[in-house]
Amino acid sequence: MTQAADTTAEVRPARTSARRRGAGRAGAVLAPYLQAAPMALVFLVFFVLPLAATIVVSFWQYTQYSIEPAFTAQNYGDVFYGCLADLPSLCTTFLTYLSTLKFCLIVWLTTLVIGFTIAYFLAFHVRTLKVQVICFLLCTIPFWTSIVIRMISWIPLLGRNGLVNQALMGMGVIDTPLEGLLYSDFAVILALTHLYTLFMVVPIFNSLMRIDLSLIEAARDSGASGAQTLRHVIVPLARPGILIGSIFVVTVVMGDFLTIGIMGGQQIASVGKVIQTQMQFLQFPLAAANAVILLAAVLAGVWALLKLVDIRKEL
Amino acid sequence: MSEAQTVELAAVTKRYGDALAVDAISLKIPAGKYCCLLGPSGCGKSSTLRMIAGHEDVTDGDIMIGPRVVNDDPPAARGTAMMFQNYALFPHLSVAENVAFSLRMKGVAKEERRERAAHTLELVSMTEFADRTPQQLSGGQQQRVALARALMTDPSVLLLDEPLSALDPFLRVRMRSELRRIQAELGITFIHVTHSQEEAMALADLVVVMNDGQAAPPREIYNAPRTPFVARFIGGHNILEDEGRTITLRADDLSILPDARAAEARRRARVSEIEYRGPDVRVGLETDAGESLTAVMGERTFFESPLREGSEVALGWQPEAAHELSRDG
Amino acid sequence: MTKTTTTRRSVLRGAAALAGSAAFPAPFVHAQERVTLRYLSTAVNQSPAIAEKASEDLGIDIEYIAVNTDEVPRRVITQPNSFDLVDSEYFSLPNLVPSGNMKGMDASRIDRIDQLATVISEGTVNGEQVGLDGTAPHEVLYLEGQDSTSFASSPTEWITLIPTTYNADTLGIRPDLIDKEITSWASLLDPDFAGKASILNIPSIGIMDAAMALEARGDLTYGDKGNMTREEIDATIAALIEAKRAGQFRAFWSNFQESVNLMASGEVVIQSMWSPAVTAVRTQGIPCVYQPLQEGYRAWASGFGLPRTIEGRKEDAAYEFINWFLSGWAGAHLSKQGYYPAVLDTAKEFMEPYEWAYWYEGAEAEQDIMAPDGRLLEEAGATRDGGSYEERMGSVACWNAVMDENQYMVRKWNEFIAA
Repeated sequence: MTQAADTTAEVRPARTSARRRGAGRAGAVLAPYLQAAPMALVFLVFFVLPLAATIVVSFWQYTQYSIEPAFTAQNYGDVFYGCLADLPSLCTTFLTYLSTLKFCLIVWLTTLVIGFTIAYFLAFHVRTLKVQVICFLLCTIPFWTSIVIRMISWIPLLGRNGLVNQALMGMGVIDTPLEGLLYSDFAVILALTHLYTLFMVVPIFNSLMRIDLSLIEAARDSGASGAQTLRHVIVPLARPGILIGSIFVVTVVMGDFLTIGIMGGQQIASVGKVIQTQMQFLQFPLAAANAVILLAAVLAGVWALLKLVDIRKEL
Repeated sequence: MSEAQTVELAAVTKRYGDALAVDAISLKIPAGKYCCLLGPSGCGKSSTLRMIAGHEDVTDGDIMIGPRVVNDDPPAARGTAMMFQNYALFPHLSVAENVAFSLRMKGVAKEERRERAAHTLELVSMTEFADRTPQQLSGGQQQRVALARALMTDPSVLLLDEPLSALDPFLRVRMRSELRRIQAELGITFIHVTHSQEEAMALADLVVVMNDGQAAPPREIYNAPRTPFVARFIGGHNILEDEGRTITLRADDLSILPDARAAEARRRARVSEIEYRGPDVRVGLETDAGESLTAVMGERTFFESPLREGSEVALGWQPEAAHELSRDG
Repeated sequence: MTKTTTTRRSVLRGAAALAGSAAFPAPFVHAQERVTLRYLSTAVNQSPAIAEKASEDLGIDIEYIAVNTDEVPRRVITQPNSFDLVDSEYFSLPNLVPSGNMKGMDASRIDRIDQLATVISEGTVNGEQVGLDGTAPHEVLYLEGQDSTSFASSPTEWITLIPTTYNADTLGIRPDLIDKEITSWASLLDPDFAGKASILNIPSIGIMDAAMALEARGDLTYGDKGNMTREEIDATIAALIEAKRAGQFRAFWSNFQESVNLMASGEVVIQSMWSPAVTAVRTQGIPCVYQPLQEGYRAWASGFGLPRTIEGRKEDAAYEFINWFLSGWAGAHLSKQGYYPAVLDTAKEFMEPYEWAYWYEGAEAEQDIMAPDGRLLEEAGATRDGGSYEERMGSVACWNAVMDENQYMVRKWNEFIAA
């Protein structure tokens, strides 16, 4: 260990000086920017520009068949139509966001608990890399099929005459089929959890794999019980992974409309679906305004998440 | 602090699947002694330590700490504390929090935790670093913190796994005396795993050479190694066949005879190598029979009649310097 | 585009000759590169067999651009240069024509312009007027001039869309899971079917289904179900929200396959449905009926239109293809899938008499009825749900539409979904 540390300490200055001598000062200064350029370009062309266009268009006027580049804030007014006037009953936009936030929170919790458990198992109980890879592949199974096929396959499982209902009735637990298994909040949460748990597993697993096993032994040695080790050592050290996973899940669920639409039987509102419907009817500026607001909401969510975790660290 | 305890191993064996890591080792370490488990890597010394600590199950045999068999006790119930090779400090906690960790697990109130941690940090001279995180400390400082954390559980036996191997040579020497000092101060049993015979000799009341199981004070190990393995591992020994016996001879007991006494020679050899080492000079020798031997002589003595590589010399030793070995294995 | 030295006039002359006799195309046209027409429509309207047959008969290659229902008008408005021929719903026209991206089609270049089905060209079947609520095709069939952006109220030389297919939608039901007779759209809101009913989640169509049901139940009377006033929209959405909260609906559907899945799995036993979707459920061996109702059908029609930018050989080829489309083979092909074609007489020539009797006359099938791809659709002895062409198209009550109050309606629909 000492040796390795010494070697790197010696090599590093040598490499730097070689670079200075070889490429010259200008090259050395430019190189990092050039290395970052391709990604920056992709980011600019496929993210910044469309986003800017969306923001611009959200302030344009429109008719049923045309978009006029004339400034108006009306689209934002339309998004929040009735939101103040109808109080205390909630307007469509508030209801929709509330519903989306509810799913966000619940799915965040379920994916966190399940994802952490799976990641823990993979990191600490699965010994060989090969088995870990196989387990990961198993976790990706939901992504092997298209959403259409997944949607169809939920029906025979959760439907009125589906396997779950038949099994429960066969065991005599219920007399009439449970309607709420499919096309309900439950179905949406189940499908989202099923789909996005992997987004938690991967970053948490990554964090857990970095935990030196001797830290866990050190905790045991200091008299920590299993639960105490989890709470005081493993969870705090998995925090970066938990945070990254949470950001993934929260942003993805905030923007989801396919899963919510399909599993909710199209009866549950989502911001994405509202935007889709507006696009369907060529109301691009209105859809753009909604998208900008959604983006702001997602960013606020991420910010809140970062804040939440930081505050807990302060305590 | 707790009272020091005896540690006794009775035919303790460890197997990983088919691989035998520790083969029926029996050992008794008296209370309050500084014991070094010495051996080359892979000899099972770390496994043995981890079994004593309770981080590894015993495949067979018994471990006793004080009057109790502790095979099935969790680490914290054994009265042991372990200092890990890489220190295993919690990177998300400050130095003080690391040290107070065991108290926190026990539910000790915050005030008391802080007080007692401060006290222990004082013992290892780390008081001023209490609020830093482990990443902000040097290797030596981290080690002191690790030591402090281990001591916080009031152990009767402290287990140290290669504690000095990550330090630079200068710091290593300093930490050696520090460990000795603290052990003397606390009076508890220390069991220290190392692959360095120099470290073991410097620190231990009792050296256990693993693979062989010889447990003895350093002087005894050095002067009377039991087997060729121990003799070779300890170093500074010549092993040779003499009159049907296998004997060992300390390198400083092998004399190069002046011409006048050449008749007393027990071996004739050619000088193959000369290494100047400051206080002494090491001379590598090839005997006519093909044995490789080493003689060490004082610097002044050597330069009274210096030798050159290729010189033919006569070798001799006092009969009482030869120590008979039993066969390996 | 194509390297040609011929003048526009000579091409036109050649194309005219070709149109006159498809069997003997003018040699110099033939000598040129083959024309490829980019055909924009939903995937449902894109039969590979038709493209193959057209290529064989005309030497014109059809390149299908398959998009979603709502993507068709969006493409026409935002990317009018990305296709040569569009198969669009008539109800989109009030949005498409004012955009100026569509080109009026010259009626004189359509051979069978006088033979178009009267339900499309006049809104009548056998001289009897059908229901005209919504966007009835004949109201948007003619333009005042080739480049005009407004519709003509009486027939002119300039056509917006030449019909490809049309049909009438009604409620589909699972007779095995329903033990009463269904005769009215009101059954969609019947509490007996609570948790087992569905409507379309395409707002402009879904709200019409709801309006049919509400009017049948006697709750509301509409001036024009396809063009509601704000008050009518409010009342309709309020009634829908009430039904939703009472748990009337199992799920809403938004595409063909979803409607089939809902029905086939028994999750839904009554919902508004497309005729071919009913057929699709039945081919799975699951009983499903396309139920004629006393209030009549909600009809739809789609047709070929040309983009403003088309010209030259492409334009000629488009006319050629459309004329071929109306000449019978394609009409018969579509008829055998359950759609109706623009020109009935020519389609009849390409169908067996027993097929014609089954699909158009409401007669019992004398032989097994096969789909164009050879799958068995109905066994001998079956009759078509809803009966003959006259019974079906003659009972149309309203047409799919885009309302004047479209934006308001979409907003209210989102409110319904969020409720």
